[in-house]
Amino acid sequence: MLVPSLMDGLLLGFVYGIAAMGLSLIWGVMDVINLAHGPIIALGMFGIYLGFTGLGLNPYLMLILVIGGGLLLGVLIYWVAVHRVINAPHLSTLLATFAVNMIIIGIATAIFTTSPRNVDFNLGGFPVGPITLPWTRILAALASVLVTALLYLFLYQTRPGKAIRAVSDNRAAAELMGIPTSWILALAFGLGTMLAAISGGLISTFFPFTILAGSSYELKSFVICVLGGLGNPLGALIGGLLLGALEGIIPAFMETSWVPVLEFVLFVLILLVRPQGLLGSKT
Amino acid sequence: MSQAPILQVQDVSKRFGGLQALAHITFDLPQGEILGLIGPNGAGKTTLFNCINGIYPPEEGRLVFQGQDITGLKPYHIARRGVARTHQIVQPLEELSVLENVMVGSCFGHEQRSLGESEGIADEVLGFVGLVERREQPAASLNVAQKKRLELARALAARPFLLLLDEVLAGLNPTEIAEMVEVVRQIRDRGVTILIIEHVMHALMNVSDRVIVLDYGEQIAEGTPGEVANDPKVIEAYLGDPKLAERLMGEE
Repeated sequence: MLVPSLMDGLLLGFVYGIAAMGLSLIWGVMDVINLAHGPIIALGMFGIYLGFTGLGLNPYLMLILVIGGGLLLGVLIYWVAVHRVINAPHLSTLLATFAVNMIIIGIATAIFTTSPRNVDFNLGGFPVGPITLPWTRILAALASVLVTALLYLFLYQTRPGKAIRAVSDNRAAAELMGIPTSWILALAFGLGTMLAAISGGLISTFFPFTILAGSSYELKSFVICVLGGLGNPLGALIGGLLLGALEGIIPAFMETSWVPVLEFVLFVLILLVRPQGLLGSKT
Repeated sequence: MSQAPILQVQDVSKRFGGLQALAHITFDLPQGEILGLIGPNGAGKTTLFNCINGIYPPEEGRLVFQGQDITGLKPYHIARRGVARTHQIVQPLEELSVLENVMVGSCFGHEQRSLGESEGIADEVLGFVGLVERREQPAASLNVAQKKRLELARALAARPFLLLLDEVLAGLNPTEIAEMVEVVRQIRDRGVTILIIEHVMHALMNVSDRVIVLDYGEQIAEGTPGEVANDPKVIEAYLGDPKLAERLMGEE
């Protein structure tokens, strides 16, 4: 029983990992904690939901639209809310992204209400011992690995990727070397929200959700970022796997309601013992 | 050398609150010249650099680069037009490797090269400044002299027309200074015009074709190193710092 539920948790962990990677990337590049992270995850879920139930589109096809939409939404949020406070103290950027959080939740609640939804999509399962792992979870994990690989290729093998890393290291010096830093920050913010939207979209293929569901994944993202080291994308993926594993193992020993309690105990312990995260912060 | 000047600074003024950092600075920088900029601490030298490369626009006056008005453009626009700079306090991209630092200069500077081309240019420039064996090290692991060379390499990799050097000799020992002066000369021989701020007087007087002296934001003298060193106004400006005055006189 333990091994399959651990595998189940690990598969989920990949998806948590890319959500956390979105949060981590934005922090790493511009020192902004994106409090609109949760609602963007929820928007990713609703994107898949609307495409699937409204237009009858395959969720994985719809995911491509969610990726583009997430990127554009992030660039828009950067220019509207974050850019003007980017050099202000952290409290200002926190409040700015929190305001975006409230705006998205307000508008989306008015449109979708808070009633639970689910994407009624089933690809069957893959038998592992006594249980079967749903294909939707296996595909979600594979998609997460692919997204991570592409993100690394982008950051390390392309000119805009190099610009992002230069800006993340020293914004003033990067600007002097001819990098349009504001656009690069907007791009990085877009990538961060894109990752959040993708994770939401993938989660929607196997869990029911409401428009408020993003906040619990946002909290998980914070735990994962602290585990893996804030600003370190690969650390986020590994932190995600760790959290996923915990979520798989804990229910074998105690009530599922203990999962968040233990997660946050871990969160506090890591902050006390190894605040730079298991893998150290920043890349 | 009778072309139009590469840079024209016309009546540039900049104030910080009550402090007049720059007052009506005016000079032309001809193509291919090494122009030295000296003055006591706080004279406005670095402020002038910051105005030229767009960190903050001057309040009055105009900056003309290659015949085009660049006043008020953003730093990255000015960098792309072919102005590169090194800093008094070095600004490496600490977590990137030496090679990557230089590639950034080439990638996003004046020539906007691709990553592949940038690597070739970066290797060539690292060879020129003598850092090639450290190409894979993180920039943070270099010592001060090496970081100064790295800054220079990064600026050169952009293949600029105009290079602003802000105290590249500060903190270097005499051997390193001699090497760096030689490097600066070679850069000029490659056709790059240079505006250089320096406190190491004998080196600056030695390398510059012409020198401008600032004091409290005012341009108090301009001429060949010999003329400037014997200018009573310059000597007076440096009297607050007798050691500097002595050195200035002594080295000539």
